[in-house]
Amino acid sequence: MKTLRTLYSSAALASLVATGAIADDHGWSLKEAAAPYAGTTVDVVFLLRPGYEAIEAMLPAFEEETGIKINIIKHPYENALGEQVRDFVANGDLDIALIDLVWIGNFAENDWIMPLSEVQEKFPDIVDPDLDIDDFFPLVLNAFGGWNDTIYGLPFDNYSGLMFYNRCMLEEAGFDGPPETWEELKDVYGPALTKDGKYAFALQSKRNETQSADSFARVLWPFGGSFLDDEFRSNLMSDESQAGLQFRQDLMEYMPDGIVAYDHAETVNGFAQGDVAMITEWSAFYSTVVSPETSTVAECVEIAPEPMGPAGRKPALGGFSLAVASQADDAEQAAAYLFIQWATSKANAREYLERGGVPARQSVYTEDGLEDFKFVPALVESWQDGVPEFRPRFAEWPEITEIVQEWGTKMMLGEVTTEEGAEEIGTRMEEVLDAAGYYSGEKPLAQ
Amino acid sequence: MIIAVCVFPFYWMVTTSLKTQLVALEAPPVWIFEPTLGNYREALFEDGVLRTLINSLIIAVSTTLLALVLGVPAAFALARFEFRGKKDLWFWFITNRMISPIVLALPFFLIARNLGMLDKHITLILIYLTFNLPIVIWIVTDQFRGIPYDLDEAARLEGASHFTIMRKICLPLAMPGVAVSAIFSFIFSWNELMFGLILTRTDAKTAPAMAVSFMEGYNLPYGKIMATSTLIVIPVLIFALIASKQLVRGLTMGAVK
Amino acid sequence: MRGRVSRKTIFAFIGPAVIGLAAVGIAPLLYALWTSLHFYNLTKLKRVEFIGLENYWNVLTDEVFWQAMGRTFFLLGTALPLQIAFGLGIALVLHQPGLTLIKTLARLSLVLPMATTYAVVGLLGQVMFNQKFGVVNQLLGGADINWIGDPENAFAMIIFWDVWQWTPFVALVLLAGLTMVPGEIEEAARLETKSKWTILRYVQLPFLLPGLVAVLILRTADTLKLFDMVFTLTRGGPGASTEFISLMIQRVGFRGFDQGLASAQAIILLIITIVLAQIYIRVFYKEV
Repeated sequence: MKTLRTLYSSAALASLVATGAIADDHGWSLKEAAAPYAGTTVDVVFLLRPGYEAIEAMLPAFEEETGIKINIIKHPYENALGEQVRDFVANGDLDIALIDLVWIGNFAENDWIMPLSEVQEKFPDIVDPDLDIDDFFPLVLNAFGGWNDTIYGLPFDNYSGLMFYNRCMLEEAGFDGPPETWEELKDVYGPALTKDGKYAFALQSKRNETQSADSFARVLWPFGGSFLDDEFRSNLMSDESQAGLQFRQDLMEYMPDGIVAYDHAETVNGFAQGDVAMITEWSAFYSTVVSPETSTVAECVEIAPEPMGPAGRKPALGGFSLAVASQADDAEQAAAYLFIQWATSKANAREYLERGGVPARQSVYTEDGLEDFKFVPALVESWQDGVPEFRPRFAEWPEITEIVQEWGTKMMLGEVTTEEGAEEIGTRMEEVLDAAGYYSGEKPLAQ
Repeated sequence: MIIAVCVFPFYWMVTTSLKTQLVALEAPPVWIFEPTLGNYREALFEDGVLRTLINSLIIAVSTTLLALVLGVPAAFALARFEFRGKKDLWFWFITNRMISPIVLALPFFLIARNLGMLDKHITLILIYLTFNLPIVIWIVTDQFRGIPYDLDEAARLEGASHFTIMRKICLPLAMPGVAVSAIFSFIFSWNELMFGLILTRTDAKTAPAMAVSFMEGYNLPYGKIMATSTLIVIPVLIFALIASKQLVRGLTMGAVK
Repeated sequence: MRGRVSRKTIFAFIGPAVIGLAAVGIAPLLYALWTSLHFYNLTKLKRVEFIGLENYWNVLTDEVFWQAMGRTFFLLGTALPLQIAFGLGIALVLHQPGLTLIKTLARLSLVLPMATTYAVVGLLGQVMFNQKFGVVNQLLGGADINWIGDPENAFAMIIFWDVWQWTPFVALVLLAGLTMVPGEIEEAARLETKSKWTILRYVQLPFLLPGLVAVLILRTADTLKLFDMVFTLTRGGPGASTEFISLMIQRVGFRGFDQGLASAQAIILLIITIVLAQIYIRVFYKEV
């Protein structure tokens, strides 16, 4: 770690020099660009997650350089959407929107956030010539920050689903690597690793966004299923979708009891305590499972891409972008943009990574000295091609996710069959979409 | 046995609040460990629980006072005067006590939004009246009824106004009931969660709403959550113990009519 | 003529309270009524439109709503008898003469659960009932019961906490009733029969009845209001096994953002509450 730090400082030095050079060429520097907005306070909602702690730790440098104050309001994920929606409909104080990829349709359609190009046109002097938007992974930029071919937000707290596995447990059971496919995980690894109070696998399935994003959608896509077909009708009754959902039921045999009450914390704890051999979790948990303070299996942790299904590798995709809020006044908008630009910049990506964040900049992952970050190869591979509509991103998602959460958990509990549950979700989902005007042609079929 | 069942959860809350995260997650749980105050320090000074406790205190005290100012005269009228619709009025007051806060939370949020009153202390102070005022009226009306009417009559003959009678003669005698209703409305306001959650963001955030906001699915800091819980509960428990006599009497008055 | 006073005086006394409560209690209800007749989604404020009774129709025909309602009354039906049984037991024990210090302490400790912040009870529940590191399983001799993740166990856990928090209330109310039994009557009865049951049934019960009625009213209202403790403990899960009516409305209104539908649900809940309150009060509180 120490060598990494030193390496970082020299890299930072280099980038400072580089910025300096650019400043000579174009006359741009953060300090000068921010000068008119010194003293402005920017309000933003943050989550209680590693990527946010990382940027918080880096914040003093920004505040000192610019004189802009960032006021962070912390919320757990489950409250973050509600808090922001209530703030925006009330013309509240938030100057930056924190947008989960499934919220973007909602925020964009309500004009709560400004398109990036609009901000840049309004405040041309604050745009960093070194912004290099093409450096973001295109999938990530479009999925997290874009809606209807317009970029609103810049990717900030980025996740891909990865497979974390306990090398020691796998070796003990005679495996020299992780399963390649979901089928293999269930049929070969499952029976071999589930014994003596230990379990082969845990799939976080609590009835909240975890159920729909981490559990339901995760088994849908690799088996060729999806939420909607091309006409926006439910595709959950298709053979592929049903196969995926049925697979989840069968897989439960190798998971701990009460998996429907497992949120990320329980799943990661189970893995970190050595009770579970494999989990599919977000990249953001890397720091938790390899830190000896929170994990007893730190030495054994290895990372692989998520297993493949019959339809290929379709890893879970999730993450947050930051966008400028329309409700802010001019100074706040400019200051907000400066912060977003800084937090997601190429120059800061390395430090962000080392402090526990996961940047979406391609360039940072080509640098040397990343051996300690075992998740990088799998992450980069996952972001090459994923499904942007892993969960539909349209404005109706908050209603639909509630439906999926309710009936998805009922399926897992065996209260309804996968067909009954899928039927029920399908009907209710189509009602929501119908009311929204997708079927009458009022609204374009965008997800 | 009764004592053990009642007190044990508090014991567990306090001990958990003194554990580090790793100790708190040990299975089976440990009973003897090295206590730390780290959770309290973090909660109070880094996460701003202190400010939410102050908010809760301001709101609970103000709404209680307001409920008394409005409720005591109304209770006096209900106990002493005859008028049409009295029964319905009393019934309406009491029904308010029974309405689920979610019924009011939705429209109240929308109204507060339109009036720009979100995240203000006054908003919670006012909305808490919906359950405090009925309590005050219920208990104090009862107390006034128990005061012999002759006293009023005597004063009346001497030319005292109704207001003077209430203030000088009946109120001192009704003090126990007033105290009880004040205690109840303070406790209910202090403990309230739903309105606090929906109608505040930062400036007027109450302590229970704060405790809930640590519940991130990514990582549950059990020690810190229990430390915050302890900070919320201990003051009201001490208060309740000191006032336990009045509390018990209040139950009798409000409930066993 | 007692109690005849001018309208002006009456209004001076009672007006402020009426206006105050109307402002915070009735105005929101009218607004909710308006909202419930519209398509009103917080994330779609651009297209608020009048849709008549459609929201109501959707609520009344939604089995999920009625399941939540049924669950709420099922909770009342299971927790309340337990509270009354335990409460009565405790009251009778505390009513016996002797052992004063212990009794005082017990009486004091009874106050504690009632005053505890409901949200904290739920948080505490999460810690104590955790399958792995929870103290409850340890106290049950190292049991491996999955409380939070199993629908029936989770429901049992909610019942436990409801009983824990409100049995003391029932006990204290009944104890107060017991102390109202005139000493001489009770002693006379004791001379005649040894059966405690007979004494309870014929001598003490009449004095307990008003208290029981009050308990019934308040517990019904509180169960319909139940939100905080369940919200922090299970959030209605697993599945929908602990989703009571107030939780459900909160979910529709503030997570699905369909305020129109949620308002319709809230108003139907309000009607049910008022009808129940009317019945209880008209039947039991004859003289007001």
